[in-house]
Amino acid sequence: MISDILINIVRFFLLIFLQVLVLDQLEISGPVNGYFNAYLYILFILMLPVNINKLFLLFLSFITGLTIDLFTGTPGMHASASLVIAFLRPSFLHVIAPREGYESTVRLTMQGMGGSTFLVYAGVMTFVHHLSLLLIEAFNFLNFFDLLLRVLTCSVFTMVLIVMSQILSQRSKGGAES
Amino acid sequence: MRNFFLIIRKYNFFIAFLLLQGISVFLLVKNNSYQREVVVSFSNQITGKIYAAYADVTDYLTLGITNRLLAEENARLRKADSNSFYDKSFKLIKVNDTLYEQQYEYISARVINNSYTKVNNYLTLDAGKNKGIQRDMAVISSTGVVGIVNDVSEHFCTVISALNSKTRISSMIKKNGYFGSTIWSGGSPQSGSLLDIPSHAKVAVGDTVVTTSFSLYPQNIMVGKVAEIGTSGESFKEIKVKLSTDFQNISYVYIVRNLLKTERDTLEAKLNANDQ
Repeated sequence: MISDILINIVRFFLLIFLQVLVLDQLEISGPVNGYFNAYLYILFILMLPVNINKLFLLFLSFITGLTIDLFTGTPGMHASASLVIAFLRPSFLHVIAPREGYESTVRLTMQGMGGSTFLVYAGVMTFVHHLSLLLIEAFNFLNFFDLLLRVLTCSVFTMVLIVMSQILSQRSKGGAES
Repeated sequence: MRNFFLIIRKYNFFIAFLLLQGISVFLLVKNNSYQREVVVSFSNQITGKIYAAYADVTDYLTLGITNRLLAEENARLRKADSNSFYDKSFKLIKVNDTLYEQQYEYISARVINNSYTKVNNYLTLDAGKNKGIQRDMAVISSTGVVGIVNDVSEHFCTVISALNSKTRISSMIKKNGYFGSTIWSGGSPQSGSLLDIPSHAKVAVGDTVVTTSFSLYPQNIMVGKVAEIGTSGESFKEIKVKLSTDFQNISYVYIVRNLLKTERDTLEAKLNANDQ
């Protein structure tokens, strides 16, 4: 239990640093600028324990988003998008859960949930997060299809990173998950 | 109260989500200039619509007062309109000439009442004693004879129209000087009759008929044109004259003041006295 909390704290900082110091620094100039932004930090929200208190989940997500916002200088933007997936997470987990429901000990990883379920879970959550985020950023519905295309490309990029991180942590079993 | 807490407990997740989302949006709008601008302009649109609707309603409520104010303004403007003023100024056209002495002065006046459908028609002009108008002055327009001043008040005068059964205008055929009297005996306001032209006089349709100086009109004022020639009895022609003045469309006229009228009248009065 204690180690669970510790793992999550470590994962929080690791993902925040990774997001702020590496992913946010990637700059793809040219016409595809803005189409390949990854927001890997949401993996922290996705991987919080399955039986976590729902209010605590909301609170942690809010803090996560706000932390990213502090670095990107866009107060409220990531916090709002993070809150959206935190709000949907319990219901969505309930929908995709096996008939008997999740054991409280199950880990929300590729290994713990099974590859395809995890891909659906992470994929939908990533898409919803990115859609919320880019909508809040645009703050209007002009060029909606262009925005949708950006949501899709960014989601794919983020998903690639999420799957890579899952494979890496699976290989280094017993080590710190990232 | 208990129910209130129960509801909060039941929906605490959703309420907490809304609360945190509210904080996020607050931070977003507060700190991001673009989003703030969008929100402000949107809220301005909304409040603008609300104010417009409010103004629509209050406009109706104040319609009575607005109507009264407009009516007052209309009355004020109507009072200031030129139609409400009596024109006190008048122009006298005078020519100083050492060789010719001025005999006639012309005073312009506006027709303020006019009839042409009766047997005895009259006009009313906006010139009276204040402009030196007297009874028996001739009235002409730019196109021809109009009538004779009948009665004069301080500001107005009435005119016996040429379209009057009492009117006899001493007229002549301009090209040869045969003279007679133009009368009007009802009917079309455009046609009169020239009587007493001897039957041997050469008259053609289209000949010009003008006034003589025998009557109250100055000489050579246009009366009309010969329209039809007939005979009455043996010695006189009966000529239909198309009057040159359009009495149905007359708005400004000139009143003729004969400066030598008194002299002539006095002289002619002596003649009459001698006869009697």
